[in-house]
Amino acid sequence: MVNYIDLTIQILVAIGVTALGFAIGMLFNGIARKITARIQNRVGPPIYQGYIDVLKLFTKKTNISHGWIFDLAALFSVAGIALAFLFLPVAGVSLLSGEGDLFLILYLLAIPALGFALGAGASGNPNAAVGIMRALMTMLAYELPLVMVIIAMMVYYDTTSLAVIVQKQANMHWAIFIPVFFIGALVADMALQGMLMEKPFDIPIAPHEIATGPMVEFGGKHLGALMLYKMMGIVVETTLFVDLFLGGGVILSVSQFGWLAYVVNFIVWFLLILFVFFIALLINAVFPRFRIEQALKFYWKYDALVGLLILIWIFVGVTP
Amino acid sequence: MITLTIAIFLMGVIVVGLLNKYPKTAGIIAFFVSLIPFFALLSWSSVMNITLPSYLQFLNFETSWQYNLGPGTLILQITPLGWFFLLLLSSLFPMVILFSISYFRSNAGGFYAAMLLTMLGSFGILLAQDMLTFYIFWEIMSWSILALVIRGGDRKAIVSYLSFGALSAMLILFGFMLLYFKTGTFVFAEMHLDASNLVLAAITLIVSGFAVKGALMPMHVWAPHVYSKSEEPFVAFLSGGLSKLGYFGIMLFMYGVVGFSLLSSWGTFRGVPLFGYSLAVVGAFTAFAGTVLAVMQDDLRKLLAYSSIGQLGYIAIGLGIGTPLALTGALFQALNHTFFKAVLFLAAGAVYYRTGKYKISELGGLGYKMPFTFLASLFAIFALAAIPITSGFAAKWLLYEAAIEKKFLFVTPIMLIAGVGAFLYVYKILYGVFLGEPRYNVKEAPLSQLVPMWILVLPLIIFLIFPGWFVDLTAPILQGYEMTAIPHTPYTINTSLAKYNTLAVIFAFIGTLIFAFILYLSKPQEKVDHMDNYLAGEPPELYDYISMHASSKYYEPFEEVFYPYFKRGAERMWEIILAAGEVFGSGARKIYTGIVGDYSIYILLFFLIMVGWWLLW
Amino acid sequence: MVSIPPVLLIAFPLFFAFLAPLINMVSKKAVKPYTLFVLLLNTLFASIIFLNVSSGGVIYEQLSGFYPPIGILLSVGYLGAILALLINLLSPIVYISYFGDAKNSVKFSMLYMLVTASSTGIVITGDLFNMFVFFEITAVGSYGLVASMRTKKAFEGAFKYIVLGSVGSAFILLGIATIYGYLKTLNFYDIALRISSMPPTARLMAFIFLIIGIGVEAEIFPLNGWVPDAYEGSSHRVASFLSLGPSKAGIYAIARLLFTLIPIMGGFELALLLGLLTLIIGELAALKQKEIKRMLAYSSIGQMGLILVAFSMDSRMAFVAAIFLMISHAMAKSLLFLGTRNYTVGSLKNPFVSVPIFIGVLSIIGMPPFPGFWGKWYLMVDMASQGFWTIILLVILAAIVEAVYYARFLFKGTGTEKSEGISKSEMTAIVILALLLVLVGLFPQYIYAPAVNAASSFLGGGP
Repeated sequence: MVNYIDLTIQILVAIGVTALGFAIGMLFNGIARKITARIQNRVGPPIYQGYIDVLKLFTKKTNISHGWIFDLAALFSVAGIALAFLFLPVAGVSLLSGEGDLFLILYLLAIPALGFALGAGASGNPNAAVGIMRALMTMLAYELPLVMVIIAMMVYYDTTSLAVIVQKQANMHWAIFIPVFFIGALVADMALQGMLMEKPFDIPIAPHEIATGPMVEFGGKHLGALMLYKMMGIVVETTLFVDLFLGGGVILSVSQFGWLAYVVNFIVWFLLILFVFFIALLINAVFPRFRIEQALKFYWKYDALVGLLILIWIFVGVTP
Repeated sequence: MITLTIAIFLMGVIVVGLLNKYPKTAGIIAFFVSLIPFFALLSWSSVMNITLPSYLQFLNFETSWQYNLGPGTLILQITPLGWFFLLLLSSLFPMVILFSISYFRSNAGGFYAAMLLTMLGSFGILLAQDMLTFYIFWEIMSWSILALVIRGGDRKAIVSYLSFGALSAMLILFGFMLLYFKTGTFVFAEMHLDASNLVLAAITLIVSGFAVKGALMPMHVWAPHVYSKSEEPFVAFLSGGLSKLGYFGIMLFMYGVVGFSLLSSWGTFRGVPLFGYSLAVVGAFTAFAGTVLAVMQDDLRKLLAYSSIGQLGYIAIGLGIGTPLALTGALFQALNHTFFKAVLFLAAGAVYYRTGKYKISELGGLGYKMPFTFLASLFAIFALAAIPITSGFAAKWLLYEAAIEKKFLFVTPIMLIAGVGAFLYVYKILYGVFLGEPRYNVKEAPLSQLVPMWILVLPLIIFLIFPGWFVDLTAPILQGYEMTAIPHTPYTINTSLAKYNTLAVIFAFIGTLIFAFILYLSKPQEKVDHMDNYLAGEPPELYDYISMHASSKYYEPFEEVFYPYFKRGAERMWEIILAAGEVFGSGARKIYTGIVGDYSIYILLFFLIMVGWWLLW
Repeated sequence: MVSIPPVLLIAFPLFFAFLAPLINMVSKKAVKPYTLFVLLLNTLFASIIFLNVSSGGVIYEQLSGFYPPIGILLSVGYLGAILALLINLLSPIVYISYFGDAKNSVKFSMLYMLVTASSTGIVITGDLFNMFVFFEITAVGSYGLVASMRTKKAFEGAFKYIVLGSVGSAFILLGIATIYGYLKTLNFYDIALRISSMPPTARLMAFIFLIIGIGVEAEIFPLNGWVPDAYEGSSHRVASFLSLGPSKAGIYAIARLLFTLIPIMGGFELALLLGLLTLIIGELAALKQKEIKRMLAYSSIGQMGLILVAFSMDSRMAFVAAIFLMISHAMAKSLLFLGTRNYTVGSLKNPFVSVPIFIGVLSIIGMPPFPGFWGKWYLMVDMASQGFWTIILLVILAAIVEAVYYARFLFKGTGTEKSEGISKSEMTAIVILALLLVLVGLFPQYIYAPAVNAASSFLGGGP
């Protein structure tokens, strides 16, 4: 018998957390632009610029569509990224993450990407197609070191569930304090740079070369949806990193401290993802852009080599 | 009833073959014949502990059948494993025939005849209970494929298929003979094998023979040629259905005849039999290399061929690991691949039917012209790329779980990266064929081509929602190998490592879609013509649409990076072996100088040698 | 059941062959139907004799009033009956293909009947000298048939055949002389009974002479130099006929020599060696061959080698395998030779040509359910149960090589052009041959029972 009250509460919490995620995403967008501006000695837009932009795009009068496949992009990208967020443990709160695992999350992340790619392809602009090609290749590049580290962790913790990995890191037994996973965190951080499409891996959007690539034909609410996707993507990807290496931001146990623990954990989680994003921003601000094959070589030659060392380390260390 | 089935099939072959001038009639007759195996499947459902309502079981097939050939006996009997693979083949086959009815405009009698023969062969293979029966039906299936390849008329396809077919047949035959020498019997059930090296050699030979049909590297060379140069409905059945028979054979011999415990007795590595471990490594390599090669193709059929090779590699990984989890995953992958690859090849056929083109760089923009074909292939592509809104994900997930459970630290990243690589080539299909600038003013594919495609999409959706039903299907198979099915409910699967709840995923996705839809409906929109985008309504006269559609050399940077490592492929290796054979050949031919004096000298020399032998004696 | 004297099988076509010129004088058009009628009648006789033998056992018949061992003896054993039926069944079918030909040569028809009769004679005779005579008739007839094309190549092939054939005949004669010198008899069974009384060296010498002599006709390496040229030079019908008649008779004679006549020490090993050499060299030579008829000829050599390997196993199962291989080769190779007339790009577009050729190729490379499969399967089962892994491996490698060059062969026939030049009569012939292949393949049990009898009888030293 399904407990409807619990279910309702869960749904409400899910909606709340998703909304929070989008809100944080938009905030991060503003922060990013501000920080980049300051590094480049500009004033920059206000920190709430992300909210303004999204609101503006969604209230535009003229919305141009290139057909129903084009429209799918907007639907799939927003829905998909929210779906991926629901399956992540956020600050120790596992919404749906008990119902799926890390592999599911990796593949859920592909839903918005593919939806986005569908729309971009349907727009018929060659720049968009080239952008998607670059995005997919970047994805192929950074996934190899990333999955190497993730698999090393899965074998080490003997689980594939992200929620369990977070649980096992409770009481400050964070993975990053284990030497091998400290190196792993560095490898994964490089991969994260590509995931976030920040320099030197902003090859897919590359405004100077292919006019923001995939997004070139989007406008109005379609572009708004894509912006939401990109902003939420930052939150999802940094949260994934924090869950893997920084114990999901959990520092107080809920059973001991009650509601206070939730509040503290959420704040810590927020600070941690901000910190991770901040590192990405710093790298972004000072590096030029790679070419696509350089990115592939960087990830597969250097990053993956370290990843391979980690795998060997675990292979030797863990007896089946 | 089985006698009758075989007789009907053989008569169908003759009738359909003689109706070469009337393709539609031949197709309809073939379609009715092709339904028989499915009825047989329904009547045998009790093998899988499924009770079907009686109106679905109007034909009663006997569960075992024998036919005395004098020296040997053909023994057919339904087993759970056979039932499962028969499910795949017998449900795919009528759909492929249905598709062909409108696909062929002329000269199709031979096609239907050979197709019926392949199905007859597969039917026998799946039911065979001894090696003689197995081999006979295997080869019937094999050469009827050859007949279909010959219809394609490509030199490389014919030569490579027949050569590799013979290689596979001979490997299998040699293995069978070793087993016969060891046990003195051909019947599977009467074999009592031990852990001797002879049995190991036999099973290695047999498995490598089946690997040819399953297109495992480096035995895959024939597949791209055959897939890209034959008629599309046949390729759909070959890739979707017949390639599974190789894995059926591997599974039958590895786990049915030899058994897991015996496999383990030849040494284990980290808890996995060494034999299985090497199969898994070969499978992972195949999955990766097949994917990379698929990304580089421009011919739609070649792309799908390499993608098939890659996706079949996953089945080999599952069969290699050999835990209940892995076997379930392998079977699930087999099921998914059957349906999604068939849909994709049929869609390629429909596209060809309408446009007459196979080159991705020459197609484009068909998504709006052929929306139902596009949507069916989109579903298939989601399944191929293991996006969690089709059942494709559950299979891959099971395989990943199995690999992690056995701590396959180096194989799993390769599997995952091959999965990511799949995104690359599926997008090439999506963009190159269906998206981008519309370049052809064509109609949607005919209804008799759309119906089979959409029927084949159905299982992908059903098993998305209820993967537990699938696990139920595997239970009797695993029981035969003294294993138990993995813990599950209709919509959740549990492993020792994690849990996968499809209902949660589906409802959450529906929820988020509703959320996105509300956002999306917030403002009205206007649809503009395709020209009204960056071209501002004025396509430049200077360029034609080809330059607007960026699908030519789409992954050029990728090719630049990977091509050097893949240019000397397996094909080159086999060519060298063949060339070495031909050196011997020309040596042998030099013996026949054509000069009668030389021949007389041979006789004299032979006489002298004989006399020498006589003197020694 | 009616019983028929086996001598009719030989005497009947021989007699009517010499009547053919008379018929030709009466009506030129009547020669072909007349020949076909004679051949068909002979088929009827052969099948009655086959049935008699399989129900009533071996038929002996003395000729010319003397009793054995002095008189001439015909002994139709199980194997002899099978082969006699095979030769007489296939020769009218191949002859059918001659109907479409505008040329009307009475000599050709005569020779055809002659060679049919003499090949049949070889397999049903019980007397060594008789066999020699039939060998001579076969050879002379075949020279004529090969040369009947009247092209440069045909004469070249026929010339080589004549030279090597004469050398072979000389050797046979030497062997016969050796045996007769010691034993004063030429009756097979008499020789077999008393062969042990011969000094071993003489026995071996006789064996060597005979195997060289017969080996020329049986296409055994290194005595088969004439084969590629003769097959290439002759017309496709003649090539087809040569591969069903004389070559089968030759390999039968080898088996007779090995099992009944002179069972010497190491004889089977020698036969195995020769068989494997013939098999491998034949197949490898075919691999590089571009000319279709030559390729088929080399493939024939390989097949003969395989049959010899099967005989040399000296076991019942392998003997049965050899019989199946002979049936398969006779039917399939005749089919392929007939089908290769004007074999160019596109000749497989006609289903009545392509399907039979396809079936023929499948049978030769040993695919079920065709006779070639049963042959290879029994052979391998037999070798497997004795554990001869190296031989199995060699046979398997040969089979793969075979598949490779037949694949090229099949490809040559595909293409866009429509086939031309294959007449209705040829098509009829190859369709009948293909049907026979399918029937034998699907119902091997009807061949298996007599084949097992033949094996038991032969291995026991009997006819």
